[in-house]
Amino acid sequence: MFKGSLGLQTRLLLLTLLVLGASLSLAGWVLDRSFRASIEAGAREQLELVVYAVMGALEEADSGLFVPADAAEGSLSRPESGLYARVRSEMGELIWRSPSADLSGVEFAPEPGELAPGDFLFFESDLLAPNRYYLSYSVIWEDRGDEVGLVFTAAADTTPFDAQIGEFRRNLWLGLAGVAFVLMLVQLIAVRVGLRPVRVMAEEVAEMEAGQRSTLGDDYPRELAGLAENLDRFVENETASRARYRNALDDLAHSLKTPLAVIRNALADEAEPDRDLLRDQLARMETSVSHQLARAVSSGPVVVGHLVGVRAVVERLSKALATAYRDRGIDVRINGSPEIAFRGDERDLLEMLGNLLENAFKYTNSRVQVVCENTGELGLAISIEDDGPGIPASQQQKVLARGERGDTALQGQGIGLSMVADLVGVYGGELRLAASALGGAAVALELPGGRLPSRAQP
Amino acid sequence: MRLLVVEDEQALRDQLTGFLKQQGYVVDEAVDGEEALYYGREYEYDAAIIDLGLPRVDGVEVIERLRGEERAFPVLILTARSHWQDKVRGLEAGADDYLTKPFHMEELAARLNALMRRAAGFASPVLSSGDLSLDTARKEVRLAGELVELTAFEYKVLEYLMLSGDRVVSKTELTDHLYEQDFDRDSNVIEVFIGRLRKKIDPDGSRKPIRTVRGQGYRFAMVPATEAASGS
Repeated sequence: MFKGSLGLQTRLLLLTLLVLGASLSLAGWVLDRSFRASIEAGAREQLELVVYAVMGALEEADSGLFVPADAAEGSLSRPESGLYARVRSEMGELIWRSPSADLSGVEFAPEPGELAPGDFLFFESDLLAPNRYYLSYSVIWEDRGDEVGLVFTAAADTTPFDAQIGEFRRNLWLGLAGVAFVLMLVQLIAVRVGLRPVRVMAEEVAEMEAGQRSTLGDDYPRELAGLAENLDRFVENETASRARYRNALDDLAHSLKTPLAVIRNALADEAEPDRDLLRDQLARMETSVSHQLARAVSSGPVVVGHLVGVRAVVERLSKALATAYRDRGIDVRINGSPEIAFRGDERDLLEMLGNLLENAFKYTNSRVQVVCENTGELGLAISIEDDGPGIPASQQQKVLARGERGDTALQGQGIGLSMVADLVGVYGGELRLAASALGGAAVALELPGGRLPSRAQP
Repeated sequence: MRLLVVEDEQALRDQLTGFLKQQGYVVDEAVDGEEALYYGREYEYDAAIIDLGLPRVDGVEVIERLRGEERAFPVLILTARSHWQDKVRGLEAGADDYLTKPFHMEELAARLNALMRRAAGFASPVLSSGDLSLDTARKEVRLAGELVELTAFEYKVLEYLMLSGDRVVSKTELTDHLYEQDFDRDSNVIEVFIGRLRKKIDPDGSRKPIRTVRGQGYRFAMVPATEAASGS
């Protein structure tokens, strides 16, 4: 069924996977970025505190500025603690280094830009490995009446922060993957549940093919109910036309046997066969063949409501017939708006109206009148009348007798009419004969109908 | 009368030409659409019988093309199917009448007669001029109600001249339409026939229905019908 393309389930799942992947990646990236930003903000805050503490501890002495030994507490005092501080002059002269830096010989990376007095500069650098965050603060300091430019710098190894970020990332992606997995699972279930009716339909169609059922079930969801119904009607139609072929062929075979037998006997028995007898039997065979074949090939009601404008077909047929019956000078009148339509196959309508109009042209004296109208929303009524001799009431039933074999139907008018009656029957319509007010025959047809949209007129 | 028969089934074509020749027509046969187009363009026919289901070029197209080339002779279509679609298409293409297979040869003859008469502008199957009447259906000629004994060829000449109306018909045209192609055109046979015909339909030489137009041919002088001629 889906040969050459992916299955519906696969399509839906692939699409979900794509959308899910993209949106979760985006969410992860945004979360990662903001977490990293908040970690860096925390680091900066910590370094600011260190800078302020060192500034607070800086004292003046005659020998210059100095930081008392007890000012460096905790991490600043331990070697390789990962937290360092330094005070230098604007000119680069080292004034103080925290013991943590001093004892382990930690060098400070240079600021990546100009630092004006009053400015903080936060940066990350791996210039002097390992990678560290730095915060430098430049101030003007009063030293024994002189103003000197000092730069306070605090530094922290990024390792503990990186560890936090790494931990967060691991958790983040694990969480997101979990969400994706759950969503895919839900989607898979939804798709399977959602597509279940389609699978059921496929199975039921397969059962129909295998002859195990004749129609589809009727508990399909709204979106599929129409399809299921059309499929049912299609199959029904198919079955009906097959039955029609079979019946027509059976009838044909049956109705040909008798004349064939008569002809064979006539040829065997007599030296000079009776030509009239042969001709009669041939005529019977001809009638049977044309009648049964016409019955078999009629398309019948079509599944999809196809509308055929009736007036256009009547006009086309009348014009053609007027050519063939040119010297009779027949006056044809057609009543009915061009939107009135027949719901079915155009060839069938041509066949029905062609036969009826041909009869009207054949038997009329001078006038033929066709009236078509819609009956209700889905009905169509067509009447064809003429001012000829009409059909005697005693014969009306006979010419209409449906299912009657061609060889027993009336000749001439009868073949055409009973064929029309057959076709009308296939469409579930009705055909009635009456006397016309014009003086001749009146044939009334009732068929499935509709209205063409008025713009789509030929 | 010269006819073109276009039918691809040999059995039916043979029957058709056999029957039509027996009816006194000159018949050309074409087995497919292309041949039909060739004949239709090459010769001026009095009528054509064209089967719709033809090989190479479809019957409907043959009619359309011939009509497009101003070939106006009447066309009778034959269709094996009773489908109205085909009949309507054929008539819309320019055919004048239709006959559904199977048909009776008599029906074909009657339709052809009517078609040719209609093409010549006569509404009734009986062509009348004064007290002379020619019944195209029965192939009979009467003078003042009395049957005139004519040979088949004399009848054909008279019918052709009457159907041609007041138009002058040359000897060549007469031989083209009344004889098979291998007829010796130099012979005086037409003049002999016309002479005999004149004696039979105008015994006392008073009406002179067939006039000789010097250097051009013959013309039938139509006289409005009288009571005596039209009743039969």
